[in-house]
Amino acid sequence: MVERSVQVINRNGLHARPAAEIVKAAAKFRSDITIVREDLEVNGKSIMGVMMLAAEYGSELLLRADGSDEQDAVSAIAKLIESKFGES
Amino acid sequence: MDRALQGVPASPGIVVGPVHLLRWEVPDVPTRIIADDTIPGEIARFREAIERAKERLAHVRDRAAAHAGPEEAAIFDVQIGILDDHDLINQVESYIRQNLAAEKAFDVVLHEWRARFAHHSSPMMRERVGDLTDVHIRLLSLLLGLPDHDPVEVAKGAKAILVTHDLTPSLTVQLDREAIAGIATDAGTRTSHVAILARSLGLPAVVGLRDAIQRLTGDEHVVLDGTTGTLVINPTDAEVAVFHHRAEREARDEAELRLLVSADSVTSDGVRITLRANVDLPEESVLAATSGAEGVGLMRTEFLIVGRTVMPDEEEQYRAYRKVVEAFGGKPVVIRTFDIGGDKLPAGGFPHEPNPFLGWRAIRMCLDESEMFKVQLRALLRAAAHGDARIMLPLVVTVDEVRQAHGLLDEAAEELEERGLPFRRDLPLGIMVETPAAAMSADVLAKEVSFFSIGTNDLVQYTLAVDRGNVNLASRFTPLHPAVLRLVKRTVDVGRAAGLEVAVCGEMASQPVMAFALIGLGVRQLSVAPRTVSLVKHIVRGISAELAAEAAEAALASDNAAGAEKQLTGRLRAAFGDASFLDDGLLHS
Repeated sequence: MVERSVQVINRNGLHARPAAEIVKAAAKFRSDITIVREDLEVNGKSIMGVMMLAAEYGSELLLRADGSDEQDAVSAIAKLIESKFGES
Repeated sequence: MDRALQGVPASPGIVVGPVHLLRWEVPDVPTRIIADDTIPGEIARFREAIERAKERLAHVRDRAAAHAGPEEAAIFDVQIGILDDHDLINQVESYIRQNLAAEKAFDVVLHEWRARFAHHSSPMMRERVGDLTDVHIRLLSLLLGLPDHDPVEVAKGAKAILVTHDLTPSLTVQLDREAIAGIATDAGTRTSHVAILARSLGLPAVVGLRDAIQRLTGDEHVVLDGTTGTLVINPTDAEVAVFHHRAEREARDEAELRLLVSADSVTSDGVRITLRANVDLPEESVLAATSGAEGVGLMRTEFLIVGRTVMPDEEEQYRAYRKVVEAFGGKPVVIRTFDIGGDKLPAGGFPHEPNPFLGWRAIRMCLDESEMFKVQLRALLRAAAHGDARIMLPLVVTVDEVRQAHGLLDEAAEELEERGLPFRRDLPLGIMVETPAAAMSADVLAKEVSFFSIGTNDLVQYTLAVDRGNVNLASRFTPLHPAVLRLVKRTVDVGRAAGLEVAVCGEMASQPVMAFALIGLGVRQLSVAPRTVSLVKHIVRGISAELAAEAAEAALASDNAAGAEKQLTGRLRAAFGDASFLDDGLLHS
């Protein structure tokens, strides 16, 4: 199992489009992926779950992956969040 | 049954066509229990419906991308993502395994999810309810075999009148202008999303019809008159002829007026009146630029916010402003900072107020939310590098607000300096004069601003204490009340003495009698909707400034609005002789 924390740094937070991008990225990995915000844990492959995080600008998230490609999964999702999803 | 329904005129024009009834609402789903041996088949039916809905959404997304652009279309990827959600699918299938029919299982799960989103404390979450509802309706329609009301399926050339409860943004982006000739909605006001959109697309529209959906079955023909706000169901031949006649006359008047696009806007005694356009959406700027307008006198920026919960970032705003500034290649483009609050609230983002028109809105909110405001100011400073952009502050009542705005503009410029982005610092900053306070303090304000622009609608509302949206007060909303005329005159006199440009940017300036009065009061810049620029030019060319001044003086000396109107219309009619446009409702539209 791999864990890594990441901060939401795009102004608009994880609204619908970023949530869809995270889920799309997560679906490419075999590992189970969980995203944690405060005491809420959601499935990183579920768009409803990721939207349910209501992660606004500045939120701290914990990414957790468990499986054969856990390292790559966590890096890919962290990178996506840190890229601000193409927002300026 | 009464066949004529009266709503709110939202976008002018007359069309006759078949009704396309769009019932975009969640249907009632009867509970149906299935036998154990049909469970695998039911799950297959559910999965098949999901696949078909996804195919359909991909189609809708591509159409929307073509009509409205990829940013608008992205919302359908989110809806596809919802249908791909394994948690959701598993939950539905577990209900099916407990002998619930697919449509009921899906209905139960979606109701649960929608409730969780709808009651969430974050506005970002509440905004997503619309997407869940869209998905809910789409899949249930497939599972229940309901008729397909998708606007995307109206045949090209159908020239149908779309009748629906309210046009949500996700429905709007699917509209095909070659299939839909007019829009009628039960909800909505003149400033709601659908109204602004219809005007920008040039589609006739009536909103606020209340119960049109209930009265229609979808097999009717209707006449939609967006100029008067009427919808006539199954019109008689005689009625159609009357509307055709009016439509023809409107078209003929417009064709005549179009000849004036390149003519000078000068009165018969040689006084130049600058005509500019009001623009609601960046997409309108092309139309506005070819209307004969010499720039934009009012670009509203609320389109960036209305119906959204996330604020547009600096880049998006910069692109929108730049588009308009560039469309007018060097001519002035006056951009009004966010005039939000009151009746134009972003969804879920602001507190409910008992008296929004006197509340926390416009410049008041922008100054309090200075980080949000500076994003807009930075975008404006950057757009100004591409042409003659000017900033206009709404609802100013004291010079302190102007000073604070200047301070924030300095900060915004410094921030851009640090980031090394190109911008222009010396763009003019002016104010809307739309409160009696601003008009009476015009002398103080004149020392710290570059121009005045009188907002007639709000000035009338605040001077007469009459809510412009209240139908019971419609006859009391009198722009020609001598108190209003005096405030306009004072603003013009003070502004001109200080060497400032004084414009009028209310829609009211496009009414012939108002344009006449304003010119008489000394206004030399009028800004109106793009399609009325030529009409106002026609007025300008048919009068002398001297006659207008004489009429305005008589109006100012009148006891009341009716007296003032009599003074003005008498002289205007004399100037034009037989002028059908004065009687076409344009005078009081």
